[in-house]
Amino acid sequence: MKRTWIMVVAVVAMLSFTASAGTISGKVSGVTGESVVYVEAVAGKTFPAPTEKPVIDQKGLMFTPHIVAVEQGTTVEFLNSDKVAHNVFWPSVGGNKKFSKNLGTWPQGEKRAFKFDNPGAVPLLCNVHPEMGGYIVVSPTPYFAVTDKSGNYKIENVPDGSYSVTAWHEGAKNSSKPVTVAGEGKADFTLTK
Amino acid sequence: MRFRGPLFVFSLLLLTFFFATASSFAIPAFSRQYGTSCTTCHVDYPKLNDFGKAFKDAGFKFPKDDESFLKVPPVMLGAPAQKELWPHTVFPGTIPGLPPIGLRYNQFFQYTPASANNYNPGGSTAGPNVPRTDFESGLFSIFMAGNFGSDIAFWVDDDLSVSGANSNGGLGDGYLKFVNIGRVFKLPTDSLSLRVGQFELDLPFSQARSINISPWDIYTQANIGFSGSQNVNNVFALGDAAQGFEISGGHQYAGYHYSLAIVNQNTSGTSSGAPNVSSPGGFFSDSNYKDIYGRFSYRFNLEKDSASRHEVQAAGATGPRDHTSLALGTFFFKGRSVQRIDGDTGVLTAREPFYRFGGDFSFNYRTFNLFGLYMYGHDDDLLLNSGATGFTPGPAAKFNGGFLEADYLALPWVMTILRYDRVQSSADFLSQSGGVNYFSPVGSTRNRVTPGVQFLIHANIKAAFEYAIRPQQALVYDSNGKALNAFRTNTATGMLEFVY
Ligand SMILES: [Cu+2]
Repeated sequence: MKRTWIMVVAVVAMLSFTASAGTISGKVSGVTGESVVYVEAVAGKTFPAPTEKPVIDQKGLMFTPHIVAVEQGTTVEFLNSDKVAHNVFWPSVGGNKKFSKNLGTWPQGEKRAFKFDNPGAVPLLCNVHPEMGGYIVVSPTPYFAVTDKSGNYKIENVPDGSYSVTAWHEGAKNSSKPVTVAGEGKADFTLTK
Repeated sequence: MRFRGPLFVFSLLLLTFFFATASSFAIPAFSRQYGTSCTTCHVDYPKLNDFGKAFKDAGFKFPKDDESFLKVPPVMLGAPAQKELWPHTVFPGTIPGLPPIGLRYNQFFQYTPASANNYNPGGSTAGPNVPRTDFESGLFSIFMAGNFGSDIAFWVDDDLSVSGANSNGGLGDGYLKFVNIGRVFKLPTDSLSLRVGQFELDLPFSQARSINISPWDIYTQANIGFSGSQNVNNVFALGDAAQGFEISGGHQYAGYHYSLAIVNQNTSGTSSGAPNVSSPGGFFSDSNYKDIYGRFSYRFNLEKDSASRHEVQAAGATGPRDHTSLALGTFFFKGRSVQRIDGDTGVLTAREPFYRFGGDFSFNYRTFNLFGLYMYGHDDDLLLNSGATGFTPGPAAKFNGGFLEADYLALPWVMTILRYDRVQSSADFLSQSGGVNYFSPVGSTRNRVTPGVQFLIHANIKAAFEYAIRPQQALVYDSNGKALNAFRTNTATGMLEFVY
């Protein structure tokens, strides 16, 4: 009996929480494949440091997954699963070449970590295998999503309010638009290369 | 020796040039199978980096864990478990999932200074007239290579056309290589492999994978004796393709490497005109005698970090790179050159033993590579005896020479080259001094400095330039020994090439 009560309280609490938070959803078109959509920084608002540590693998001469979206301040681990030596570097973050970084080379099975404190797209490259490419998209807020292959996305748990939302796609120009979330917000993007 | 007119020599050298640069090459087929760029294996294609050397040594496979890198799965010619049935089944192998084809095309533009034509004294047109500028189509070649499973590697490359015509096209290399066959005899890994077919000899620096537009002169040096006193007419050149088999072991990227090849006797020394008659048609060689080529080298990898020293590539702060290394090597070739001569008692066959012997070194620091080779050549000479019934030894025909080259990859797409080529042949000198000069814009006087620069427009498209600077020469001297009509056969050559 007691347990049922706790459940009820929990469900009510969740419902009331979601009532003040909504979703942003929509579709990114004009490009093919995965895109990233994220909410731009909100003035005067900070977010707790993320604790998740996503792993990007180098396997079969490829970065896997090809696109990873993270919140600003996230530490990403780079793993080498190949029996050949790789190297990971990026020439810029969000187009700013000052944030370029070379993590060097490490043996199979080992990882090297890096904390991404600046927002924007990070093109990952390997200087011995120039065909290798991957992206980390660093979102300034915890509100971001990677679209599915056909461009559909849904960002959950966005508090009600007005935001600027940006869509990013490999090789395309970023596109931003204002979105008001009151339970639900909609934003469709058409990107051009 | 009436064939040694200037036009003949000129065309011979031109042909040598195209043939010598014609054999094996960068293989876009591997790019396709592995989904990777040319630069995974090449510094500036076709020159291999340390990883490329390991890939080649392993039988055109990634040295470790090959399957995990293949983007196109191979086609099974038998389930792997068929092995257990053997010898009651065909041993299961594989073929590449995509036709393993790579193609290459190149073209040239050449500039020769006006003074190059001064070797035709007094405006005579006895020799060839060399145009100042010339557009030339080069090679269109097809390359097929890969691995059939069980560590059996294959390579076939063929020139579909040369110089815009199909008549000069021909097979470059064509062979099967049984990699690591030594495991059958429980020998250490990679200590014994077997290669069978037609191949470029295991030269210290592969002519086929040279980045230079013109070949190293020493590799194209034939030994043709001084007319009149030396009956040596050996057109064998070290860069020529050979047919036979080769055993080899070790690695090109670290430690020891050896090879020993048994190849067809060189019979190309026969000439079809009198007094020589051609060798019997339909055979590559005309006797059971076989020529032999051997090579041994040792490469010291000099990385301070011992873990890195033992890897295929050294680990640099900014990514894997070629080792800092010093390689030393030696090589020899021993064979016989055949000539047939109409004697008084019928056709006489002279089999003149010859050998080539040399040493080489290569020092590499990051993207700077300094390397060189020295070779000595010696042909025994058999002269017709006075009664023309047999042969009697004459003075040997000798030459020596080599090259020194520095390659520096200034940017990942810009290669700078400085090389020095020298061949010293007394027979060449004597044969020329009384007659026309040993001339060719591409082979020439065998003494030159050749700076070059190459640009990778893309990883598979290359624009290359080189300028061969040769000493001043003259055919005619006045009574004070002053050169008349002096000329230089400097040549600027540009090449545009693509592989796909
Ligand atoms: Cu890599």
